[in-house]
Amino acid sequence: MTAPSLSPEDFHPLQSSVSDQQLGRPSLSYWADAWRRLKENPRAMASLGLIAFLLAFVSIGPYLWQVDPSAQDLDQIGIGPGADRSVTLAAPFQPWLPEQQATTLDDDVLGFTLAMPATTQAVRLVWTMEPGSRYRLYRNLFDPSDTGSFGLPLAELDRSYFEDRLDLHAGTYYYSLVMLDANGAETSSTVTEAVQVTRVISAAEALQRGLIESEGDAQLGMALELAWHPLGTDYLGRDMLARLMYGGQVSLFIGIFAPLAFVLLGVIYGSVAGFLGGATDQAMMRFADFVVALPFLLFMILFKVIFGIGPGESGIWPMLVAMIILLWPAPARLVRGQILQIREEGYVSASRLLGGTTAYVVGRHMLPNTLGVILVTITFQVPSAIFTEAFLSFIGMGVAPPTPSWGAMCNEGIKSMLTRPHELMFPALLISITVLAFNLLGDGLRDALDARMRGAE
Amino acid sequence: MLVLHHASKSLTGTFTDVSAVDVEGNSISILIREEPPQLDSSRATDAVSGMVLGHVMEGLVRMGMDGRLEGAVAEDWEVTPTKATFWLRNDAKWSDGRPVTAADFIFSWKTALKPETGSEYAFLLFAIKNAEAINSGTLPSSALGLSAPDSNTLVIELERPVPFFDKMLVFPTFFPIRADFYAASKGRFGADADQLLYNGPFKITRWVHGSSMTFKRNPHYWNQEQIHLDAIHVPYITSDATASLNFFKDSKISMTGLQAENLTEAMRMGWQIRQHRDGTVFYIDFNFREGRATNNLNLRRAIQAALDMEELVYKVTKLPGYEPGLSLFPGWLMGEKDLLRREYPPTKISPNAGSAQAYLQTALQELGLGEPPPLVLLSGDNPISSVQSEWVQQSLKRTLGISVKIDKQIFKQRLAKMTAGDFDMVLAGWGPDYNDPLTFGDLYASWNKNNRGEYNSPELDGLIDTAQNQLEPAARMRAFGDIQQHLIENAVLLPMYERGVTYVVDPRIKQLKRRVIGPDPDWSRAYIDSGSE
Repeated sequence: MTAPSLSPEDFHPLQSSVSDQQLGRPSLSYWADAWRRLKENPRAMASLGLIAFLLAFVSIGPYLWQVDPSAQDLDQIGIGPGADRSVTLAAPFQPWLPEQQATTLDDDVLGFTLAMPATTQAVRLVWTMEPGSRYRLYRNLFDPSDTGSFGLPLAELDRSYFEDRLDLHAGTYYYSLVMLDANGAETSSTVTEAVQVTRVISAAEALQRGLIESEGDAQLGMALELAWHPLGTDYLGRDMLARLMYGGQVSLFIGIFAPLAFVLLGVIYGSVAGFLGGATDQAMMRFADFVVALPFLLFMILFKVIFGIGPGESGIWPMLVAMIILLWPAPARLVRGQILQIREEGYVSASRLLGGTTAYVVGRHMLPNTLGVILVTITFQVPSAIFTEAFLSFIGMGVAPPTPSWGAMCNEGIKSMLTRPHELMFPALLISITVLAFNLLGDGLRDALDARMRGAE
Repeated sequence: MLVLHHASKSLTGTFTDVSAVDVEGNSISILIREEPPQLDSSRATDAVSGMVLGHVMEGLVRMGMDGRLEGAVAEDWEVTPTKATFWLRNDAKWSDGRPVTAADFIFSWKTALKPETGSEYAFLLFAIKNAEAINSGTLPSSALGLSAPDSNTLVIELERPVPFFDKMLVFPTFFPIRADFYAASKGRFGADADQLLYNGPFKITRWVHGSSMTFKRNPHYWNQEQIHLDAIHVPYITSDATASLNFFKDSKISMTGLQAENLTEAMRMGWQIRQHRDGTVFYIDFNFREGRATNNLNLRRAIQAALDMEELVYKVTKLPGYEPGLSLFPGWLMGEKDLLRREYPPTKISPNAGSAQAYLQTALQELGLGEPPPLVLLSGDNPISSVQSEWVQQSLKRTLGISVKIDKQIFKQRLAKMTAGDFDMVLAGWGPDYNDPLTFGDLYASWNKNNRGEYNSPELDGLIDTAQNQLEPAARMRAFGDIQQHLIENAVLLPMYERGVTYVVDPRIKQLKRRVIGPDPDWSRAYIDSGSE
């Protein structure tokens, strides 16, 4: 083995050469990186799409579906989606004068007869009257011979006719007439008649509802279609789709603006407290503790009074103010903790040593590192704000009738949950979707905005 | 009395083994909507107290099963324009076995009139001589026009002729109270099961406050053969309609009311559904105070012509037994010979958008307004009132362009706001206190405290004065006819409907009596027919 031989030239400095640093990849800013990671999260993207859809539903929807959310379609109360809408044009309702009109009675036990074709305007029944006797009239949706009872008692009468106008729908009704004895007990003298009721509408009503152009077009017996309600109607015949759109405006307004406002307030408060530290921090945080202890509902009521909001007026603004004034301490604490932690980091000290001003340090280093926490807090506060609005409207502290909100609609729908489930299902579904979408988005944002995961695949 | 749709909730049950009908024990179980605040008959005001007291106490007279007045503690009686005499039966006894005497009635009525008792129904006694002065504290209670020549005779001097005096005695305020027992209870009279002395068909043997009650047959009651049940249990006290229906389905209670939503199910189950018109009238009341737009006659007429009460009853409320309102006087009130409403049919105001608009334009000119003023509609906080107030709101918006603000309040708060005059319109209801048209007829008298809109018309006051003081039935009924006409023409109130109750009873129970006046429901004469099921 021989040692390498060195010459003096080997100890001369190299010729200085400038060679540009070659970047293999494009520069990736914090936001671009976060967006890239968010895009790779399918759940977050789906929820972002959902939120965009919901915003369009409540903002553009009312222009596309121009139906007054408080108009009551009393012909179609509580109908589900896809209900039959066919209706026949008939003469307008006229008071009935049975004494002046002869009807040939049926040849059954009591001569129980339908006096004229049964329509949703009225079912008119006549029978033979035995002097001095009383009758009880029943109505049933089911055949009495199957269920064993006559059904709903409509009236007790000492005359020979009855006009039924109570909540009539197209379909078959079983009317039973029972003769009563002197003590008011039912006798065996009974007769049941199955009556086919057709849905009708008068020309004036059809015109008022915009089903025909003019009364001249109207021909009796003409088949028409009632107004279309794609998602059905509620307990007063109001269009569910229109109410969901308008109700969503209230719910999403509260759901988005309230968290934005109180989180912003909390961020400012918390960062000031955290940045200044010491006695100021202590005093500010004790004040925040004090605000946490204030009861929300009580303040909501107080604000309603202070705002001079009378009965029957919307309580949305006091709700917003109460939320902003009372809910900021949670984000404030979170941000203060972050700021306290970041303040002690090496890169902050380095930045300061190198002459960074306070504004530069806060803007360049502190805020970007807390942004993740802030954005996530906002998205998680959105569902809770929507729930708060729903809850307050549920107990009657929110919107005033007839203004809808999703929470108020749930409150009304729950009363008829078993018979007309769609009145509860649709608003409940929309609240659930909104809350889920914001939660998933918050989840995705937390992952995407975490500076420590930056650049991670 | 003022009535409301019940909404408060309290749900409890301490009975472990509850069944709707216990054939072996000869007893039944029922539910009551709310607990009686107390059972001192001189202070009782609410319908539930009246129902409970009606089972455990008995007055001089009672409403019979046929709806006619019959003797109870009194065997016979006589009413003249100046005095009323009641002869008490010898065998009427208290639950400790001692006889019920005329002195017990005198003591009870004097107690009710004492200013410190604070009885809200003391005014019912004002027909008795000097009663009003005693109640206001200007005369001593010894001046009351009551006397007992012997222990079985009660003589009542009347302040003014009251043709229906005997009918008023059905009301709980007229039930007897025994002085020695009242004194021994040391101010807790009627607060507990053992703080009451009973003279009715049943006595309360157990009263767990807020939870349950038990009524057992009173062995000292004079009319034993009319009473069949040995016990009535009240295992649940709740006004929750869904809970009530579920208890009935589970055979825990023997009667439940039905809501519009449950009717289809009830028909499918084949239940024997029954119906009862409870005598109550619901109406929209106006505020007549100075400065209120509703003081304007043409505005009220516009609203009268805009609202279609048939639409409300047939399409919105949708409950059987509800009758669209035509008059303040409900259809069941008797006139001179026939029903009052047949003798004096009310004018029917047909809804008409055109005339409503015309009235509104006149009203706006008179009020000097450019556009319709917003109105506040005071309403109850229960589901039925909510739906109705929203219907009124939308109807007035559509027909007249009036924007209505709905002010939902609980019953007490609503009453306070009505008294303070803090409303334009209010959804109100009135149930009868006694079986005479006057129980409705004097509602809008300028001196009536229940005239909360402060309607003041000398013409109407004159008519009411005639109805109160005229003795001849035909003239009285004519006065009621005129009152009715006055109320409709001046749109003083807008009758919405007469309320009906739809309910189901266990088919084994017979002789359950529903009534308009007196305890409702009345189980006291009911019996179990175990053969039918």
